[in-house]
Amino acid sequence: MGKCRVSNNIRKLRFYNDEMTQQELAEQVGVTRQTIVAIEKAKYSPSLELAFRIALVFDSSVAEVFSYDLDDKK
Amino acid sequence: MSFQEKNIAVSLGSFTLILLIYVIRLLQIFQDGMLEPVSVFRLWGLIIVLSIIFTIIASILTHIISTIIQVIKTGEQEPKIEDIKDERDELIDLKGTKIAYLISSIGGFLAMLTFVIGQPPIIMFSLFILFGLIAQIIGDLSRMILYRKGI
Repeated sequence: MGKCRVSNNIRKLRFYNDEMTQQELAEQVGVTRQTIVAIEKAKYSPSLELAFRIALVFDSSVAEVFSYDLDDKK
Repeated sequence: MSFQEKNIAVSLGSFTLILLIYVIRLLQIFQDGMLEPVSVFRLWGLIIVLSIIFTIIASILTHIISTIIQVIKTGEQEPKIEDIKDERDELIDLKGTKIAYLISSIGGFLAMLTFVIGQPPIIMFSLFILFGLIAQIIGDLSRMILYRKGI
């Protein structure tokens, strides 16, 4: 099995939501701004609960915000 | 650098200083030929008290310095300090603690091994504290790396 990666569209979705700042999103979902930064840079895969909370803020489904890529390169 | 990272950096500095004090004092005891339970256990007490005091002072200092930096940056009279611990902080903390426990266990095993090969018990007790401090430092280092590189 290859390396798993969770990518996301948070940066784009923030832009389309009145250019919401990372701080505003962090406050709405109850985490620190650093966690939002780490998620956007794909340095941290959020828990299912946090993923749902982020999706709810953007009024989207989890699949619209996050995508799962399976990297099979060895 | 987030508040949690600053906290870890300060803890790392404090425990490195405590480790230095411990190693220097232990070497002095060795050189003076005073390797007796009384002097070693007194050093144990000193290190434990120092660890508690340094941890409390470091926590207070991190809060004060973070507030000062925030006031200078934003100009707000009552700035918001992001000192909440979210799921990422908890996960990094757990991973760091796991590594610290691993090092501590290996150290404990090595310390007991010295007793098995016929060294005096005081060597074993000295190594317990030494590996405890090293475990704390490596735990903090791994937390810093996880914050920087990502989980």
